[in-house]
Amino acid sequence: MNTEARRHAKFNGLAEAYGADLYRYAMWICGNDALAKDLVQETYLRAWKALDKLNDIKAAKSWMITILRREFARTFERKVPKFADVDEVIVREERELEPEDRTEVRLLRKGILKLPPKYREPLLMQVVLGFSCEEIAAELEISKSAVMTQLFRAREQLKARLQKDGVTGNVHELF
Amino acid sequence: MSMNFSEFKRLLGAEPLSRDPEFLDARRSGGEFEAAAAEADIFEDRLQQSLLFSPPVGLVADLKALSAKPAKSRQGQRWWPAALAASVLLAVGAAGLNWNLNRGWDSVPEYVVDHYRHDGDRVLNLSRPNDPGEVQALLTELNVQAAPALAGIVGLIKNCPTPDGRGLHMILNTENGPATVIYMPDTVVNDQETLAFDDVQVVLVRLQRGSAAIIAPDRQLVTRLHDMIQESIVPIPGKS
Repeated sequence: MNTEARRHAKFNGLAEAYGADLYRYAMWICGNDALAKDLVQETYLRAWKALDKLNDIKAAKSWMITILRREFARTFERKVPKFADVDEVIVREERELEPEDRTEVRLLRKGILKLPPKYREPLLMQVVLGFSCEEIAAELEISKSAVMTQLFRAREQLKARLQKDGVTGNVHELF
Repeated sequence: MSMNFSEFKRLLGAEPLSRDPEFLDARRSGGEFEAAAAEADIFEDRLQQSLLFSPPVGLVADLKALSAKPAKSRQGQRWWPAALAASVLLAVGAAGLNWNLNRGWDSVPEYVVDHYRHDGDRVLNLSRPNDPGEVQALLTELNVQAAPALAGIVGLIKNCPTPDGRGLHMILNTENGPATVIYMPDTVVNDQETLAFDDVQVVLVRLQRGSAAIIAPDRQLVTRLHDMIQESIVPIPGKS
């Protein structure tokens, strides 16, 4: 396999491995399908151009998330579009849900979008990307204890929101 | 077991899937520990259901294919001066803007300027000969098609945001140099409205479905392309 073919293979492997996570992450930080697709594509374009600088393949996921987050910050230096309604944005479900469960999930999604970014981002990194607290701390350039505090508070706020909205069923019984 | 319940609850709220041995021991220690862990597991399940959803079918393959292609050589030239801070000179030909959805931009011209300054120059430099089939495939997703003459000169096509949702950003490799076309399937514009900013000229085109902005350094080029774009991007028969 020649150098160019190896480069293509490396890129394809990364794009396929992390594309879904990048898209989900992008959707949750920008709340808009078209913008999320654009962010992922920008991430791919930049990753392709800078691929030779990626020496440690194990760091690829963090590397691509860093690119995406920078691109997001750059995009919204000038404009911050309003969040789209979450139920309009996310129309594809991983699993079929019962009506009662669907209500809870919708409330949680709305709650997630209303979380302050400093709580939302660590939570997204943990649940959507599977990052450890150490990885989140490195990505956000804060201490691990700060990350843990933010994650704890994010969950507490979500639980409080569910309770306030009077959700019945399993989640409600938690509190 | 040395972890007290307060520490346990804190870790449960911060890192419920932690593999820390002490934490795992605490989870299995019965009583209030086990009850709290069971409640947290239910919440985590809901959280995952809320956050994890399937990307559109084929999305990753499409974006990947569009990204991993070599940039066309520009022989050391840049087509566009970067980051010119000239003020926007709007030469709005018709009165009023058919702008009814505020998604962050106050007008179509403002969106065009913002979008082009964001990545117009960089995307231009990624243009290269393209597969007309790829062009048609993306247009088809928006229920339109391109005449072969247009599809054949598209040097790059990518998804992009528009004021009203998803659109397409295209680079045309014309005989008179490259031109950018932003297709906005759900945005209405005043046909032939023009504007100028930095070193580029823009003409807006009303299409049978949606609209487009044509952007190039040469006024004559964007004017010439107006009719071609208007005739070349048309709805697919039978698709709304």
